[in-house]
This record gives sequence, C-alpha cells and structure tokens, in this order.
Amino acid sequence: MPPPVTPDAALAAHRFGLGEADLAAVPGLAGDPRGWLRAQIGPADAQHGQALPTLGQALAVQAAGRGAAAGDMAKAALRQQVQVDMRARLATAASTTRPFAERLALFWCNHFTVSLGKGASVGLVGAFEREAIRPHIAGRFADLLAAAVSHPAMLRYLDNARSAGPQSPLVQRLRRRSALGGAPARITGLNENLAREVLELHTLGVTGGGGAYGPWGGYGQADVTALAAVLTGWRGPRPEADAAAVDGGGFDPSWHQPGDKWLLGRRYAEGPLALRAVLNDLAHHPSTARHLATKLARHLVADEPPPALVDRLARAYREGGGDLTVLYQALLDAPEAWAPAPAKLRTPEEFVIASARLLRWGDRLVARAPDAGLAALGQRPQSAPSPAGWPDQAADWLGPEAVWQRVTWASQVAERQGATVDARALARASLGPLLGEASSQQIERATDGPQALALLLLAPEFQRR
Amino acid sequence: MPPIPLRRPPLSPHRRAWLRQGLHGAAALALAGLAPPGPFSGLSLAGAATPGGPRLVLVILRGGLDGLAAVPAPGDPAFADARGALGRFAQAPLPLDSTFALHPALAGLHRLYGQGELLVVHATGLPYRERSHFDAQQLLESGGERPFALDTGWLGRALAGTAAKGMAFQSALPLALRGHAEVDSWAPSRRPAPDADLVDRLARLYANDPTLAAALGRARALHGDAALPAALAMGASAGPAGGASSPAAVGLAHQAAGFLAQPSGPQVAVLELGGWDSHANQAGDPGPLSNNLRLLDAMLGALRDGLVAPAAGDAWARTVVLVVTEFGRTVAPNGTQGSDHGSGGAALLLGGAVNGGRVLADWPGLAPAQRFEGRDLRITTDLRAVFKTLLLQQLQVPAARVAQVVLPGSAALPTLPLLRA
Repeated sequence: MPPPVTPDAALAAHRFGLGEADLAAVPGLAGDPRGWLRAQIGPADAQHGQALPTLGQALAVQAAGRGAAAGDMAKAALRQQVQVDMRARLATAASTTRPFAERLALFWCNHFTVSLGKGASVGLVGAFEREAIRPHIAGRFADLLAAAVSHPAMLRYLDNARSAGPQSPLVQRLRRRSALGGAPARITGLNENLAREVLELHTLGVTGGGGAYGPWGGYGQADVTALAAVLTGWRGPRPEADAAAVDGGGFDPSWHQPGDKWLLGRRYAEGPLALRAVLNDLAHHPSTARHLATKLARHLVADEPPPALVDRLARAYREGGGDLTVLYQALLDAPEAWAPAPAKLRTPEEFVIASARLLRWGDRLVARAPDAGLAALGQRPQSAPSPAGWPDQAADWLGPEAVWQRVTWASQVAERQGATVDARALARASLGPLLGEASSQQIERATDGPQALALLLLAPEFQRR
Repeated sequence: MPPIPLRRPPLSPHRRAWLRQGLHGAAALALAGLAPPGPFSGLSLAGAATPGGPRLVLVILRGGLDGLAAVPAPGDPAFADARGALGRFAQAPLPLDSTFALHPALAGLHRLYGQGELLVVHATGLPYRERSHFDAQQLLESGGERPFALDTGWLGRALAGTAAKGMAFQSALPLALRGHAEVDSWAPSRRPAPDADLVDRLARLYANDPTLAAALGRARALHGDAALPAALAMGASAGPAGGASSPAAVGLAHQAAGFLAQPSGPQVAVLELGGWDSHANQAGDPGPLSNNLRLLDAMLGALRDGLVAPAAGDAWARTVVLVVTEFGRTVAPNGTQGSDHGSGGAALLLGGAVNGGRVLADWPGLAPAQRFEGRDLRITTDLRAVFKTLLLQQLQVPAARVAQVVLPGSAALPTLPLLRA
C-alpha cells in the first residue's frame, strides 16, 4: 500500500517544486518528501527543445539579425532564436521530474538577470541560462558567479564589452589617432554598470541594505570603480573581431586597465586572473552570505522570512565555504521552511508552469505562443525590467489588473480544457492535504467542468505555495 | 555665474478655478465619447471626493534620467568642457533662459515652457548618495529618508483616510501608491473578459484570503460591465516595473487623461516610462536616449491633449504632472559615450496649475570642484521639497499630516514656488 500523502509532501511539491498533477504518483515524494528534494540537488536538467543554440551560434545569429541593415531573413532568424529559448525554458519547467532543481535554476537565472529588454542581449539569454547558470547551481557560488559575470551575454547586457581602461593600450591608441585629426574616440574609459551590479545585486547587496537581514554591502564608489577596472578587457568573443586579439576566455588585454587595483582593502594584480580572485573574495564575504541567504529564504519561505532562519542559512553558507548544496541542505533542514500555511504567491511564470504541470501539458504549454501568454500576465519570460530581476514579493504581483489577467488566463485555459478533466479529482490529487474545505466545496459546486477548472487554478491554495 | 535664487512662496493654500467646474464636464465628456466608458460604474464613489478636484500625475522615469541631457546648461561656463561628447547635440538645444535649454527631442515641452505651463527644477535629488537604482527608486516612491525605512508610498499615505482615489496605469501597483485601499491599476487588455458568474464565485473562493479578495474586488470594479472598447486597447506592458513602451505609453497617457478628466476620477495617478539607464552612446540621435525623450515628449503631450480637450472640463487647469527619476548621472561622459549613476538631476512639472516658464535651481555649477565627489551634479534642492509643496498646495494635505505621516522628516524642508497663486 502506498504511503499516505502528508502535508510535507504537498509542500515539497508546491513550495519547493513547481507543482504536481498527482502527489501520490510522484516516485519517492510521499514516502520521504525531504529525501525527494535532496535527491534533486545537482546541476539542472538539459533543456527540452530542438536546435538550442550554443553561445557561438547565438552570437552569429544575433550579429546577422540586429540593426537597421539586417535583412528580413536574418531578423526572422533572431526572432526565432528568442522564441526557441523561451519555449525551452517553459517546456523544461513544465515537464521536468526534478522540479526543485529547476526552481533553483530559475531562481539563479533571476538573480543573475540578463534580459531581452536590452538589444545587446537579445538572442543570447537562452545560451546564458544554459551555459552560465544551469550547470553551476549546485556547486560553489564562486563558480556560478564567475560563470555568470564573465559570460558574454552578461558582459553585453551590462555594457562591460565596451568598457576600457582609461590607460589601456586601446584607449591610448584611440586618443593618439583622435589627436592626429581623426574622429573623436568612441571609447575613452570605464563603464561601471556591470561592476556596480556585481557588488549590489550579485554578491554583497547594496550598502546599508538588508534591514533585519543585513548588514549587506560594505563597499563604496571607489570599490565600484576598482572592480570596473578589474573587469576591463572582459568582452567575450565578437564574431566581427580579429580572432587573434581575443583569447579563448573572452579577455582582450588591449582593453585592460594596467596596474594593481585595490578593492575592499585588498590588492589585485593587473591581468585576467584578477577577476576570478576578486569574485572568489566577494563570494566568501559575509555580506554575500547574508544577501544570498535572504534572497533564497525570501524565494522559498516567505516574503519576510524569519531573521533567525536567514542567520542560520548565512552561517551554513559561510561554514560550507560557499558551497550552495550546503545552503540548500540547511534550508531543507529548517523547520521554518515547512510552515504549513502557504506564504508565497506564485509569480505569473510559476502560476503558468504549475498549471501546465497540473494539466500534464509538457511541451504543449508553448505550442500556441512561445511565452505561453506570460507577456499579458506581466512577466514575459527572460525579459525582466531591470538587472535586479523580477520582484519576489506578493505585493508586486497583486495589482488589481494583474489579478484580473490571471483570471482571464485561467478562464481561457479552462474553456479549452475544462470539459476533458475532472477538476474535483485533480484538486485532491494535486493539492492533497493543502486543499481547504471551502475551496473544495466551491469547486464541487461549479456549474460545469470549465468553471470548476478555472476555480481550481485560481483557488488560493493553487495561487500560493 | 550667480546662482538662480530659490524664492520662498507664501504658505497659503490655493483655491483655483476648478471649484467652479460642475458635473457638466463629465457629461460632456461622456457624450463626446472621449472618455473610457463606464470603468467606474461599479464603484460607489460618486460624491465621495470633490468632483473635478485637483489632479496630481506622477510620471516615474526608471533607470536614472540624465538631467543634463534632458535639460542641459550650455550657459554654464564649464558645460562644454565638462560634458564633452554628451554636450554636443545633433540639433541645437531649445533655449529656456540664459543658462538652460531643453534637449532637441523635447519640442512639445518647449512649447509648454513658452506658454508658462512647464517648470524645470534642476540640481534636484533625493536624500541619498549611494547610486543604486533600486534603493533610489524605493526612496523616490516611499518618500522615506533611508531606503526601505518605509514600505508604503508617499502618494498612498497622502490618500489614506480620504475618499480620493489613486490609479496606476500598469497592472502592478507601484510602491508610490501603496498604503491606501482605494487604489486601482489599469492596463488595456485584448482578451475577452471572464464570465461574470465565475468572478462571483471567485469572490466567495477568496473569502478567507483578504489580499486576493481585495485585488479581485478592485479589478472587478474597474472592469465593470463594459470593458474598454478594443480600439482603445494599445497592448501596454503589464509588468511590475519599467512601464509601458512605445507607442503604448502614448496611448496609455491619453487613456489616463480620460480617467483623470472624469469628476469621480482618480485624484492621483502614476505612469511610468523605463529605459533611462544610458550607460553607453547616449548622445546619438537617433539613439536610445533621444528616442526615449521623444517618447516622453509625446506621452506628456498626449496627457495634456486629453486634459485640455473641451470635453475634459478644463481638467488641465487643475492638474500638476510631476516627472521624476531616481537619480541623475555623472557630469562627465564615461568611457563609452554614456554616463554612469550620479546624484543631482532634473524634475519637470507641467500643468495648468504650474507656475511655469521658469527653471528653478540653486545652480551649483559643473566645474569639477563644484560637483559632488568630483563627478556628479550636486544636489541643492531636495526633491522631497517638491513633493511636500505639491502635497500641501495641490492635494491640500494638512501640514501636520505631511510632516508626520506622508513625508516623515520633511518639516524643515521649504515649500517651493511651483504653483500659480
């Protein structure tokens, strides 16, 4: 006889995973919810999808398809690449059997946002997520950080590909040429965009930030400028560039600022090795531990997680030497993470993914539209409005119009599929002990199948996790 | 160059012509078919707020508008040297006075300046110098003295406890409006409205979830029985930040005017426009910054057009539009023909109620020694003094409430001569 479905099993599936159609049918879940989650910790699955572009392919398609001079075919190919990436992201989340790992991958993709909102990163976001994030979610944070920060998609998204040392060979050459009567130089020195966001968003957190979870930060403008200097030369390969000038790691020494750099009181020598050294030190900084612990607890436990939990997670991260698996393990061991009342509102993307898993759509989620309707819900995939990523608190997603769009989306799904499923049985199988009596009754009393399914999708128990 | 003096205005609140406007404005609006029909038909707020009362529209430019690009100071002796490539425009800037000009993409705003309907506040900013977008935007919207010290918005607190309404023209509620129950968000939709019976049942389903229940209730009231005609739906962004993009922003501004012109319409509205983080190639025209300024010009023009229309009951005369951003940018170009995060910038005030045709600035100068930390335009006017003035004089919020609740820590800030007496 199969083990009964406990509240912890339902929480494991919905809070930590991405939702399930039938809790009892998920191998290993009901018997040992924590074990089911632990076993998933590791690199994210290879994404579903055909002809998913590598970075090199993505860069070539982007180079051909961007700008006013691009032909219609090349532009269409770039649009197609964006759609392929979007479909792969959603289809994978809709069908994976390792939904906890997938949730963590989506979490880190948001932490290290590269967005379609900027032309320079259009077409590269999928390759970034596949190459910089997904393989690195269950190792040392320093490795994930280095992979994300030095990935060409990030270097372009936050302008580092065009940032040069003011005393670099390139800038000196351009200056001489300009002085001899050439056009004014287009590149004259630093662009500190990436440096600031690495400190503020990716590692230490903003100085003075964190509130009850802080202190974060601890850096000043001089540190931002120094990191920008360390980052000069990290440009990534460019299809149009002289291949000999760019080594395999995407570092171009002619753009690099010469000399030592001082960051947070430490000295880093000139050259490409400094970036890795800086990122290692940032990864092990106590502010980074608190910042990451806060964000992870906020994502998985509550909009305002218990400060004691964040303290414990930060300590686990530090004592584990920045090993993310230790951090995840500490979270799964925390009693606060298993509070029975679902505290987190699903974001639109989580809601759409959970609906697809409830209805076992798999790849059909993206058969009609590559974004599965998420643009209308206010969360077009891979298109966060800023480098800070999508917000992770309910208030940001609970505008009346946003809720209305959820109702509209659920109605459409229910119209299409409500006649072919038994929403009452589905509610019990998917939510198990999370399903409250009131919602159960409302679903039972629906006038027809589509209405019952719409009520299930919109029930508080399904909107929250 | 001598500083341009900041004059202290009288503190007395203004009574304006709008008190004479009756309900005929709304009726005419409905007859003319210019207003979005019926979105408030489900609300019982008629008579709750002063019909046709003052309007305040906050336009948030996320990303950090370069105030010296939007409102350059070619009359500052250090301007050309300090700005380098950023100070050279494809067309001549549009002069405002002997010191200041407008970016050539802001032709519509320049006309308004000539008509006395645009006031520029320059070298202004928040009490914050750390240059983070996210902290600075939090301050801009919360009205606090430190990031995250307050978790509601200054406009939301200004409306709290009153019968007036706030409205955001995007699906998510901006922080600026949080803290007040009567806040709506609205964005056009091309999808068919959900079945009314389903919505009835959802209301029961949310009986034990007050947050979802409240959001559903507001959404339902907004959409009412008659959805907006499809011709008005421009497909605006529904996202939580970043705002609408072209040309949806222009259409949305026009629709916002329709709501604002109604006698029972919102007293306070929030619009957003993103994409101001001009780290690279910002002087190009066409280029991202020039294009965005042109879009802003068109968006503000559409808002004005909708509010000066005869059917709008002269709503423009009782409107103030405040255009703000989280921080200005570096005075000097960075290494990529753009600018990095800075401090002081420019704020714009438009409207029939604005005492415009002037640039209000205690100008600090652009020479390196005059800058903040040698790099940013120094802040000489606290942006919260602008907020405070509008709260007191436009929204008529009692002074004690402003000082204690709406803008804590603002008691010592001056009021500024922003509005017509």
